[in-house]
Amino acid sequence: MGKPFTVDVVTPEAVIWQGEADFVAARTTEGEIGILADHEPTMGALTAGAVVINSTDGSTITVGVNGGFLQVFSNQVTLLTDRAEMTEGGKEEALRLAQELGGE
Amino acid sequence: MASAELRQIRRRIRSVQSTMKITRAMELIATSRIAKARLRVAEAKPYTAKMTDVIRNIAAAGGLSHPLLERREVKTSGVLVVTSDRGLAGGYNSNVLRLAERALNAHRANNRPIQLYVIGAKAESYFRYRGYQIQDSFLGVTDTPTYGDARAVANILLDDYEQEKMDSVEVYTTRFVSALTQTPVLWPLLPIEPPEMSEDTQIAGYSFEPSPEEILGRLLPRYLEGTIFGILLEASASEHAARRRAMKAATENAEELTKALTREGNAARQAEITTEISEIVGGAEALSHG
Repeated sequence: MGKPFTVDVVTPEAVIWQGEADFVAARTTEGEIGILADHEPTMGALTAGAVVINSTDGSTITVGVNGGFLQVFSNQVTLLTDRAEMTEGGKEEALRLAQELGGE
Repeated sequence: MASAELRQIRRRIRSVQSTMKITRAMELIATSRIAKARLRVAEAKPYTAKMTDVIRNIAAAGGLSHPLLERREVKTSGVLVVTSDRGLAGGYNSNVLRLAERALNAHRANNRPIQLYVIGAKAESYFRYRGYQIQDSFLGVTDTPTYGDARAVANILLDDYEQEKMDSVEVYTTRFVSALTQTPVLWPLLPIEPPEMSEDTQIAGYSFEPSPEEILGRLLPRYLEGTIFGILLEASASEHAARRRAMKAATENAEELTKALTREGNAARQAEITTEISEIVGGAEALSHG
């Protein structure tokens, strides 16, 4: 277990997930990005795909996103996306959801 | 056998009461809608707030430069008017329509062509009736706006703005101040006003993936969608609040009216009975004296 940091997943309809995590993996237009605590301040544009959050309570949250933005600043990660869907079905399921969101 | 007068009063009471049932039902529906609509307004706030934050950070990192932020000489003004699809909401629609039309007249006085967009059937019929040319109208969105609706509006406005069919866009809509106060306002939409730097803007050495310009280019259209979504949600909350107030007043009026009519009906009935009694008494007197 690494050092925890806070994560917010925010959509226009609601804050869909908020909590503590020790690892976040996402895909920006430049490639995969993995975030641990004390990550340098970063701003990224996400591509459609899966974002994986390892919550400190031991669970893994997978969010299918249809693009969006990622901001990392002083152990505070914010994911902004206009469409996102949470799933417990793992990364494949999240990718499928992301494709569905994009295809709407 | 009731007299014609009494019958008529009873009929009016029935009619007023059935209207009251409708207005009361609408009042109750609107009341439950307000709570939901206000919650949605609150839930949408973090998104736009965070976006504003990101734009600020990009500005701090290297300045903002993007066509959507550039002011250009306004040859044609875009105007978007937000009303509801249904009436029965007191002054809700007429207030914002009046504000918008005043602005349209001002543009006309300056010989400046306009591009008119409307949201809501009320605005559409208002401007169509007055012979305005409507560029695009969006119906069926104001009751419970979705993000998809906001995206559709944003896409069309963005397209026309980028093709320079217009050089600015102003929105006439209603802000939800409180349950009792909703104010029609002018909301400048395009070009996007860069958010002001606040004290706590984090001047940190951000690393950007991809470049700040590219992120800004992706962000601003989303920001516009989010802003329009916020506008629609507030308009919707205002609509429900205005309707609740209008229907509450209507229900109260109906109650008053029923009371007055019942009193009138009682008087008529009493008069009838009095007549009947005096007829009987008169008849009996005549017999006993006979």
